Amino acid sequence: MTINRRTVLKGLFGGAVATVALPPLEAMMNRSGTAWADGSSFPKRFALWTWANGVVPAFWTPSAQGVGSAWELSPLLQPLAPVKSKLALVTGLEIRAINSIPHYSGFGSLLTGLGQLGTEGDQTYAGPTIDQIIAAQIGGDTPYRSIEAGAWFSEGMSFNGPHSPNPPETNPFAMYQRLFGPTFRAPGEDAVIDPKLGLRQSVLDVVTDRVTALQAKLGSADRARLDQHLSGIRDLELRLTRLQAGPPDLAACSRPDEPLSLDKLEDPFLNHRELADMLVMALACDQTRVLSMAFMTPVSNYLFPGATAGHHELTHNEPGDQPSVQANTIRAMEELSYFLSKLDSVQEGDASLLDHSLVMATTDVSLGKTHSLDDYPIVLAGSADGALVQDIHYHSTGRENASKIMLSAIRAMGVAAPSFGDEDRLTTDGISAIEA
Amino acid sequence: MKHLPLLLVVALAGCTPESEPLAVGPAPEVTGDAPVLRRLTESQYEHALQDLFGDDVYIPDAPEPDLRAAGLGRIGASQVTISPRGVERYEAAAYVLAEQALNDVHRSTWMPCEPEGVTDDACAGQAMELLGRRAWRRPLADDELATLVALVNDASTTLGDFDEGLQFGIAALLQSPDFLMRPELGEPDPDAPGKLRYTGFEMASRLSFMLWDSIPDDALLDAAAAGDLDNLDGLTTEVDRMIADPRAHRGLRAWTDDLLNLGTLADIQKDPTVFVYLREGLFEAAREETLAGLEDLVFARDGDLRDLLTTRHTFLDRNLATLYGVPAPIRDGLGPTDLPEDGARAGLLGQAAILAQFAHPRSSSATKRGKFVRETLLCQTMPAPPAGVNTAIPEPSPDAPTLRDRIAVHLETPVCAACHKLMDPIGLALEQFDGIGVYRTTEADTQIDASGDLDGKKYDGLIGLARAIRAHNSFVPCMVNQVARAATGIQQTDEDEASYDWLAEKFAEEDFRLQALWRDLALSPMFRRVGEVQE
Repeated sequence: MTINRRTVLKGLFGGAVATVALPPLEAMMNRSGTAWADGSSFPKRFALWTWANGVVPAFWTPSAQGVGSAWELSPLLQPLAPVKSKLALVTGLEIRAINSIPHYSGFGSLLTGLGQLGTEGDQTYAGPTIDQIIAAQIGGDTPYRSIEAGAWFSEGMSFNGPHSPNPPETNPFAMYQRLFGPTFRAPGEDAVIDPKLGLRQSVLDVVTDRVTALQAKLGSADRARLDQHLSGIRDLELRLTRLQAGPPDLAACSRPDEPLSLDKLEDPFLNHRELADMLVMALACDQTRVLSMAFMTPVSNYLFPGATAGHHELTHNEPGDQPSVQANTIRAMEELSYFLSKLDSVQEGDASLLDHSLVMATTDVSLGKTHSLDDYPIVLAGSADGALVQDIHYHSTGRENASKIMLSAIRAMGVAAPSFGDEDRLTTDGISAIEA
Repeated sequence: MKHLPLLLVVALAGCTPESEPLAVGPAPEVTGDAPVLRRLTESQYEHALQDLFGDDVYIPDAPEPDLRAAGLGRIGASQVTISPRGVERYEAAAYVLAEQALNDVHRSTWMPCEPEGVTDDACAGQAMELLGRRAWRRPLADDELATLVALVNDASTTLGDFDEGLQFGIAALLQSPDFLMRPELGEPDPDAPGKLRYTGFEMASRLSFMLWDSIPDDALLDAAAAGDLDNLDGLTTEVDRMIADPRAHRGLRAWTDDLLNLGTLADIQKDPTVFVYLREGLFEAAREETLAGLEDLVFARDGDLRDLLTTRHTFLDRNLATLYGVPAPIRDGLGPTDLPEDGARAGLLGQAAILAQFAHPRSSSATKRGKFVRETLLCQTMPAPPAGVNTAIPEPSPDAPTLRDRIAVHLETPVCAACHKLMDPIGLALEQFDGIGVYRTTEADTQIDASGDLDGKKYDGLIGLARAIRAHNSFVPCMVNQVARAATGIQQTDEDEASYDWLAEKFAEEDFRLQALWRDLALSPMFRRVGEVQE
């Protein structure tokens, strides 16, 4: 059934506030605590996790391919040993982009399937990124369509469309307030009964009318921009409605501890872990089903502890096998491993939250030194509830189109997409070797 | 790369003080660029709320970060949307502000009436009308007002309190696109059939966001209502008043922050084991030095903007004075001082805000500094390096002790040299200043060679470079471009070309004074005329 908010509001304002019967929300799943709406399957979750400045491919690609004991982790992938059994590693793919803006052309094309928009210094991609493509399909049933986080930099890599970034939250305290603050209800707690929620919705109705009235006077490009605004308003209205309906009963969900610091923590590693803990719980509490985490953003020149130069500078200037660049990548993989292990530690029924998820981890270039876009590093982890083969390394030798892995991921999430990408990047096939 | 029209170059060459000044004619007539819909920038949003409710209101962190496009957040503002998170944060901020607007400290400063009862149509209407006119920069239409009053009444009834209900009306004003966005669509110009001009209220908005980085004040809105902004005389009066108003300092600071991307200084990462002069608050002061220097040049002196590059006059705190190796002018905060006339440091390029920003965490960067000069000060576009190029440079060694030795490979490799020869020689002239701006004469015990060549003009060191940029044909038109783009929110169009050229000539005629440029721009047909909405 659909939610009739007016009914809720009338009830709230018409009489005894606390006795209002709230309509069941269509998507509030079942309340057994062990399973979800259809009694058997947990929802699928998607997370995009990105690091900066690529890899040194010779030390990234495992020497053998295959499943299980047929392949071993490469030096750069060693930190992922605890979760190797849940990885689907694909190597050898090529991003088909005109590489005119290093760190952006390829990354943007990978995430959107489209060509580069604008020129250097324009902080935008040409269309929605994969997390938002997926969120548009599976994000509507949770309080937040998606959540974006950044461990250090405030630049985002999640886009709703051109010039429509989803700015990441870098401050764990602000993230906590947003996800688990005063309006969060843990399982077993009562719904929020507050007449102000209904009034806030009335205000949003007025704002919606103002946006619509303005749209009528504008050209198509500006109307489309304001459509994004309207979409955000609808998300907020829906969230306010859900607050009044009470929390779902989820065994794995509990209110996490509030961060001790009001500020971003002093280093990106600590900050990442603080945020990652919260994001994992946001999934367990079904606050959202789609995440993105930018551990570092493109061209990051962050000075890693012990390094002799900033990360980006090193990728260009360090000679030989670039041991310092490799050390930085390993440090990033340790953070990825932390996030994946944390997801894996949450039990949902007879599997883990990671099993029910698909995490895509990737970066802004392949070899940083040359900004190359071939042999692109992409790690998948979690099977999206059995949709992907696990503990596999598949190496493509034919410079396959990187859009294929995106399509595999989208389909693994249960989204029936006929294709991904445009022009050279267009594919109607995923990578069958990793599809279960 | 942009190419200056040859005529303009010739015209500018004729405008040097040594020759007879040319009389510049009237501004060119135009048909107007298509309207753009801008989102308030972070600082405009903050300033607007301060102007509505008082400088002392608490304003939550920027709900939506600026998105830079073509080097300016003000261009990005014409392209951005409002994200779902932004909707959420604008909403939260709206209630934080609405509550403060009605607290004991602020209520009496603006509230036009006292309600009689829990609901009071007349008083709710007056409050909404007053705040709405300021926040939306125009009078509210009857139906808009009626909607807001109904909303307030509904909320007041539900909550049993007039003021609590009024908060929801204020929150609606502050979340509306009429506040957060800048719709400026124009009206038929009675004096020019077939053409459109910005309405008086739209002109008020355009002027105030350009000059004050904020919403109009009541006097400006009154002038708009009286039709004064539809004619040159009325417009001139208001523009002069606005430039003389202290709020114009805010406008200049916001433009400078945007142009020089000074916000990045807040998160800049430098290794304290390499840079021993690093201190808490150093880069905050560095930003303030740059801003204070421009304020002094533009307002206190109404001086030649080109002096920005060469002046020895600056503003330092104790940490910056230590960094620069000069006596601190003042015990606390920043104070004015003059750098030594025979010293190697002067002007914008000698400031820590620039030297540190365009550098690495542990070293300087000739390429980054050169790119900054080309792109921001000369408005030229540097292509990105081609893919697949080995970008490694030699490690420091006895054979290649200085950065100049090491990045020589850039200039020896043809594919690199095409662009690096445009950037590296500029930055190498600044090599006597390390990655946070400390003066040095040697690197790895080797004398630093700070000579260079800017498009054929040879120079030595920072002072020589600053003079070369000052004399460069592209510098003055670029400053005009940076002011005009920021004010219009769009890149220069073909339609604008004649106006930009005229502004540059006029700027020269008026001794390169930024105040004069603002006035000329604000009064120009390009700024007042608008084209049709593009479908």
